[in-house]
Amino acid sequence: MTITLSGISKTFGDITAVHPLDLTVPEGSFFALLGASGCGKTTTLRMLAGLEEPTGGTILLGDDDITHLPPHKRPVNTVFQNYALFPHLDIAENVAFGLRRRGVKSVREQVAEMLDLVQLGDLARRKPRQLSGGQQQRVALARALINRPRVLLLDEPLGALDLKLRRQMQLELKRIQTEVGITFVHVTHDQEEAMTMADSVAVMHRGRVIQLGPPAELYENPRSTFVANFLGTSNLFEAEILSPQSTLGPRAEAAEKGLKPVEAGMSAEGETPERAETPAVAGTAEVSEGTSAAEVPGETRVKVAGADVTLRLPTSRCAVESVEGAEGVEEGRKILVGVRPEKIALLHPGEAEAVPATDNQLTGRIKDAGYLGVSWQYLVETPACSDLTVYEQNVERDTRLTAGADVVLHWRPAHTFALDAAQDAAAGEEVL
Amino acid sequence: MTALAPLAGTPETPPAPESGAGPGDGAGPGPGSSGRPGRRLTPYWLLLPAGLWLAVFFVAPLFYQASTSVQSGSLEEGFRVTWQFSNYSDALAAYGEHFLRSFGYAATATVLCLVIGYPLAYMIAFRAGRWRNLVLVMVIAPFFTSFLIRTLAWKTILSDGGPVVGALSSLHVLDVTSWLGLTGDERLLATPLAVVCGLTYNFLPFMILPLYSSLERIDTSLHEAARDLYATPATTFRKVTFPLSLPGVVAGTLLTFIPASGDYINAQLLGSPNEQMVGNAIQKQFLNVLDYPTAAAMSFLLMALILIMVSVYMRKAGTEELV
Amino acid sequence: MPTSTAPRTPGAAGPSSAPAAGGPPSTSGPAAPPTSGPAASRSLGAPLRWLRRNAVVLAGCAALAYLLLPNLVVLLFSFNKPAGRFNYAWQAFSTDAWTDPCGVANLCGSLGLSLRIAVLATLIATVFGTFAAFALARYRFRGKSTANALIFLPMAMPEVVMAASLGTLFLNMRIEFGFLTILIAHVMFCLSFVVVAVKARVMSMDPRLEEAARDLYAGPLQTFWRVTLPLAAPGIAAGAMLSFALSFDDFIITQFNAGPSTVTFPMFVWGAAQRGVPVQVNVIGSAMFVLAVAIVLGGQIVANRRKKS
Repeated sequence: MTITLSGISKTFGDITAVHPLDLTVPEGSFFALLGASGCGKTTTLRMLAGLEEPTGGTILLGDDDITHLPPHKRPVNTVFQNYALFPHLDIAENVAFGLRRRGVKSVREQVAEMLDLVQLGDLARRKPRQLSGGQQQRVALARALINRPRVLLLDEPLGALDLKLRRQMQLELKRIQTEVGITFVHVTHDQEEAMTMADSVAVMHRGRVIQLGPPAELYENPRSTFVANFLGTSNLFEAEILSPQSTLGPRAEAAEKGLKPVEAGMSAEGETPERAETPAVAGTAEVSEGTSAAEVPGETRVKVAGADVTLRLPTSRCAVESVEGAEGVEEGRKILVGVRPEKIALLHPGEAEAVPATDNQLTGRIKDAGYLGVSWQYLVETPACSDLTVYEQNVERDTRLTAGADVVLHWRPAHTFALDAAQDAAAGEEVL
Repeated sequence: MTALAPLAGTPETPPAPESGAGPGDGAGPGPGSSGRPGRRLTPYWLLLPAGLWLAVFFVAPLFYQASTSVQSGSLEEGFRVTWQFSNYSDALAAYGEHFLRSFGYAATATVLCLVIGYPLAYMIAFRAGRWRNLVLVMVIAPFFTSFLIRTLAWKTILSDGGPVVGALSSLHVLDVTSWLGLTGDERLLATPLAVVCGLTYNFLPFMILPLYSSLERIDTSLHEAARDLYATPATTFRKVTFPLSLPGVVAGTLLTFIPASGDYINAQLLGSPNEQMVGNAIQKQFLNVLDYPTAAAMSFLLMALILIMVSVYMRKAGTEELV
Repeated sequence: MPTSTAPRTPGAAGPSSAPAAGGPPSTSGPAAPPTSGPAASRSLGAPLRWLRRNAVVLAGCAALAYLLLPNLVVLLFSFNKPAGRFNYAWQAFSTDAWTDPCGVANLCGSLGLSLRIAVLATLIATVFGTFAAFALARYRFRGKSTANALIFLPMAMPEVVMAASLGTLFLNMRIEFGFLTILIAHVMFCLSFVVVAVKARVMSMDPRLEEAARDLYAGPLQTFWRVTLPLAAPGIAAGAMLSFALSFDDFIITQFNAGPSTVTFPMFVWGAAQRGVPVQVNVIGSAMFVLAVAIVLGGQIVANRRKKS
């Protein structure tokens, strides 16, 4: 059942929890509302459940207007935060609650079936407090699913579980969703959880949806510093546009020799084909300190503020929306340039000639190297940014890369994104 | 009466303010479906029976009493409001000593209850282990025997020539207390000490239970943290446990002091007829002498004095969350 | 009552001196554990250290003894065969009173009256008090703080003041003192305690449970019967038990508002205290004590068994 929220809003006294919001959740999708606590995501979910009356706007379920329907008349069920299992009823009665309220006479079989589905068949006569957190979570899920709702709402359903169990339940939930084919709307503050499970994620901040899309798009091409920092880690530099280039540059022919195929699919928004044809600059003789003078078609050069460093990024990504509205790619405009830590490669200065000339390149010194098991996390001091974070897969580590060592860093321009400079570069960082 | 006031006007129910994401605080049957105007009256309907009962049988009598306290007349001629404030001054002149004695006894009993009750509450909260519930039952159990019967039992325990008097007099304790004027010679019954002992006994559970419930809420890891940070057991108690139990101390002292200062049973059964409390005086005026204006003036005075003392005390203690 | 046992903190011994020593002389009761024994064989400092560590337990046990001593005396003297009318000195063992508890005129009648009043007062106070508690715990409305104060005030007032003022009202209204006036008075002072007990419970209830019920197709009424009421039941039960105990045992307010023919059990005891207390009073007191303790302990044992199985 497609859910259509149009202009839905909620205020509590003077506080606006949700600003007028338009959202469409396609049928059968796993949709995540992601945001820090207090961003309005739970209020939105509660309005869907009918537990909160919207201040304005309408909610359509399919073609039916359910805006003012009380919760017990909505074909929608919720898995509550901390589960809200009835402490005075046993597990079977908890699961049977919804069926009984709708006057279903013989619930036994269905309950047993449902409990088997969540692998709790032998605990039917226990009371909720005798169950572990993971078991309670599954009871809550069974209690909601047994009603075969058209939409299942999940309010931080995994928040109370420990990390390992949470991972396991994420996969479990995803499996169940695929199996039953019900639309899931999932509220979470855990970006990893949202990205693992959801087909589509709406990032909420201060009562507004600030970006909506498939997880990969949000991650690869964030449209605001909040999303850049809230979803994973980003290195952001202030920069100024030097020369917007949308057509072939003067040195394009010179670059034709070193044409390099680039593996497709590393970015989500169709930059790849364009990138694949981008020729690498030949004769990288004078790779100077973090600058690349080469003009490449479809790419724009920017100068990092306060440092003699030039970086390049796809021109199509420079047209960032600012607070005032869309702005063009004109020379001298201030932007924030970002790159994800895992996109950056680290090299010992002795191997610097292996860096493709078309890549963005920096030199720096390792301040700190941390071992994370699957990867190494480096903190590198560079002219562009004093604390550049780099993740390197823990495969074959160059043992020379220790704290204090000089390094060369490089990444593809296509992995660079641009954001409006008129926003807090640290937004969304200090969120739990 | 006060509860009826909001019923008259059209009440406005402010929407329950909720934190943006948090689950609705106080989101009961009300706020979620408060669309219909009838919903707004629900709390008033729910409050109506109890509020009316208290308004008519608690608040209204206080007003009646206030008016009675300035009446004059006699039982035969009937009483009439004559704004005779001399009822108050006469009552104070005649029974000032009773007031002082009542508050003195009640204060002493309250302090004794705290001193005796605190270790017991502490023991139940932290040291009783698996005996905790049993000890709690034993604290409450005396209630099941009528307190008049139990107070009469003290008459047996403290009786002349009984084991307690015998033991104390052979230890020469009674010599000291009788020199202080607390007891008679070789006698405990019909002395101030017996009355205070009875009051302490009667209201001890009212001290222990609030103390226990505030002590029980203290996270024991706080003790460990204090010990870890170089506090001795005594310092831990002084700096951590006791301050955290203050709400219980305040509640317990109020629950002991207020009823104790109005009590007349202990003074009647255990005390001497010459050293009675203000409760005895009120009871006598009301039930025997039938001088209702004097009884009303005294009980109004008692109420006012207690309310003043309690509000000063609560401000000092900084705990007004009891209400 | 919390069923979990608290983790012990062996170090935190609390006040190192035994405060009960300052109590009245009668506290020198029994029940203090032996101070010698396992510690005696060790060095001289060991018993002292043991004493210091367990001072709070010793003081607690002494306080408990102080609390329970009168009940023991009442029990003991229920087997007495007093020489005169007063049952204050031990004479001889006898079970006469136990075999004939109603042998004294008016005693069992007063007991019945007390029970009837207590049951009725509890019923009314519990129902009305529960309503009010829900209003105060669940709604925001104008006049809420006034209502809270109105509920709190009766608990902060000496009984004799309430007794005298209510008596004044009945006198002025020319209402005849009797069963009805006692009942009205009892409901009045029980209400506050019910409200406090139920309100505390309702406020601690997770509002999400009711939301879950509504989400699971329960209408407002069904939500109340199936979820709200069962969850609030412990608080309501606590309030009801408290009212029953308060009403049954009340003397001061009853004395001011009773008629000549309505003598409750406490009033009977009071009257008897002037004329001479029959042993049967001790029998009734002890029987109620033993019965109540047995019920509580029995309930505990059953609950423990159920938890284990």
